Amino acid sequence: MTLGQKLYTVWAFFTVNLRRLFRDKTALFFTFLFPLIFLFIFGGLNSGSGDVSFKVAVINNSDQPFAQQFTQQLNKQKTFKIDAGVTNQAAANEKMGRGELDATIELPKGFGKVAVGQTYPTGQAIVRYTQNSQSAAATLTTVLQAELQGINAKFVKTETPLTVTSKQNNERSLSAFDYTFTGLLGFAVLGSGIFGPMSVFPELKKNGVLRRLHTTPLRVWQYFLSVMLGNAVIGLLSLAVMFIVAIVIFKLKIVGNYLELIPFMALGIITILGIGLSIGGWAKNERQAAPVGNIIAFPLMFLSGAFFPRFLMPDWLQNITFFIPLTPIIDGARLIATEGKHLTDLGPQIGVLGVWMVIVYAIAFRVFRWE
Amino acid sequence: MAETILKVDKLTKSYDGQIAVDSISFEVKKGEIFGILGPNGAGKTTTLEMIETLRSIDSGTATIDGVDVAKNPYAIRGMIGVQPQTPGFQDKTKLTELIKMFAAAYGVKVDPKKFLEDVNLGDKANSFVENLSGGQRQRFSITAALVHDPKVFFLDEPTTGLDPQARRNLWKLIEDVRDRGISVILTTHYMDEAEVLCDRIAVMDHGKIIKLDTPKNLIKDLLSRGFSKEQHVEQANLEDVFIDLTGKELHV
Repeated sequence: MTLGQKLYTVWAFFTVNLRRLFRDKTALFFTFLFPLIFLFIFGGLNSGSGDVSFKVAVINNSDQPFAQQFTQQLNKQKTFKIDAGVTNQAAANEKMGRGELDATIELPKGFGKVAVGQTYPTGQAIVRYTQNSQSAAATLTTVLQAELQGINAKFVKTETPLTVTSKQNNERSLSAFDYTFTGLLGFAVLGSGIFGPMSVFPELKKNGVLRRLHTTPLRVWQYFLSVMLGNAVIGLLSLAVMFIVAIVIFKLKIVGNYLELIPFMALGIITILGIGLSIGGWAKNERQAAPVGNIIAFPLMFLSGAFFPRFLMPDWLQNITFFIPLTPIIDGARLIATEGKHLTDLGPQIGVLGVWMVIVYAIAFRVFRWE
Repeated sequence: MAETILKVDKLTKSYDGQIAVDSISFEVKKGEIFGILGPNGAGKTTTLEMIETLRSIDSGTATIDGVDVAKNPYAIRGMIGVQPQTPGFQDKTKLTELIKMFAAAYGVKVDPKKFLEDVNLGDKANSFVENLSGGQRQRFSITAALVHDPKVFFLDEPTTGLDPQARRNLWKLIEDVRDRGISVILTTHYMDEAEVLCDRIAVMDHGKIIKLDTPKNLIKDLLSRGFSKEQHVEQANLEDVFIDLTGKELHV
């Protein structure tokens, strides 16, 4: 057979199997809808403005009109949300104990009373909090202090020689969603690259499909190459759908170049697929494939930043997890898509992926079994 | 005398010290149907799988048209067609697409329609394998194994589980294949099938070929040793009744 004939074999397998996949509703669900479901769940969780928001209860024990006004003013605050359903300390304590409330603002009896001979109201508000909400309480106290200072200034003219003001920087920083989104891209790559072949290959073996192909002159590399092509095309399509949803619905801002993103993600997809091919190609049946696949896939999922950013990990763990094969995909996607970096800036990521690609495919070819 | 296409010489295979195929030798000629009979565990499938390059050969040689099986497995695979016991085809794939894939596996392009029409499946071109009946599946499996015009065609228990009509239809197909000059090697548990279909038969037991001859000669030999069984007066059996009642035509 000439090389041209051998490559025609690859092409025929690739095209027929691609058409087959679009008839497979289960595969379509896991390829296209499943990652989208995660995108909606996680995207919905942190698509907010990023402002810190506490839940507090306001307990007004004072009968003074000023206390009424002050409570209303607190309601307009954006830093915290007021749980209007809580009106006494006992209920507030219970909710704080369950973590449903971060703190309570108590306006004690007589708060806002205008003392005889004075022109302005006085009083001290109390912030109550639990051990677990110390930082919330500190923030709350500061906010209240600022609030009260503004009021104080209206009643008593004072000089404020030292002040601080905050200004927003125009440069856009990475939002939580940027991390979530690129993490979910990694999750989708992992799903189609490992969980796909992990279930498909044992099935093909069970039905004798691979055994029958084994009686033909088809080479393993031809078969692998056709699977790699198919997986890359389908994987890129599924990522494209995620990008479209993220841009349209979650207002994701892409600053990078798609022409750099596509080959980079294709490299990532093919590398991860090598792990799936190794497991699926080696396993005689699904019972062999599932435990090995899960032992490899789940640590990858949680250590690579697919579900929470790696910068939250301790340094030593960050240093180790930099080298696992899913991390460079997620980091690289974020660096290109949301930070506008170029392929030439991604030396470490491409290097790690390249090394893994050689390793996993060396294993995949070694352990492959037709039946 | 037709030329020899397959030559098996002292072929041996053992698993974990247990001998499965014990130094067997035989030859298959061009354009004959050669049957391998024997009880389960006799070594039939192992013999076929060694010749098909699916299993390593411990000792001995097998050559197809002068090509050594152990030394040139990929060349051999291009020269043989294999129909395994269970026709393994992927689901959700049209018959035409499967033919295209199989031809591609041999590096050739064919007209899938023609191969489907050869086995009366022209109207099923756009069906999936999982929607075919058992007989249709076997017919499809046969035509899929012939896309590259092989020299030798192996069938492992081709008619197991088929109804009488489908079996007869398959016999006819297998004879057509032979008439195209392709040597057919098959295993079976059905003696009537072997008697009708096979030009020569090798009977295997315990990894050895204990007898090899034409069906006629095998029977003649047994009778000449004074064998007789209870005589039946009926000139028909239940299968004849069944065929008479339901016809020879394929039902699906």
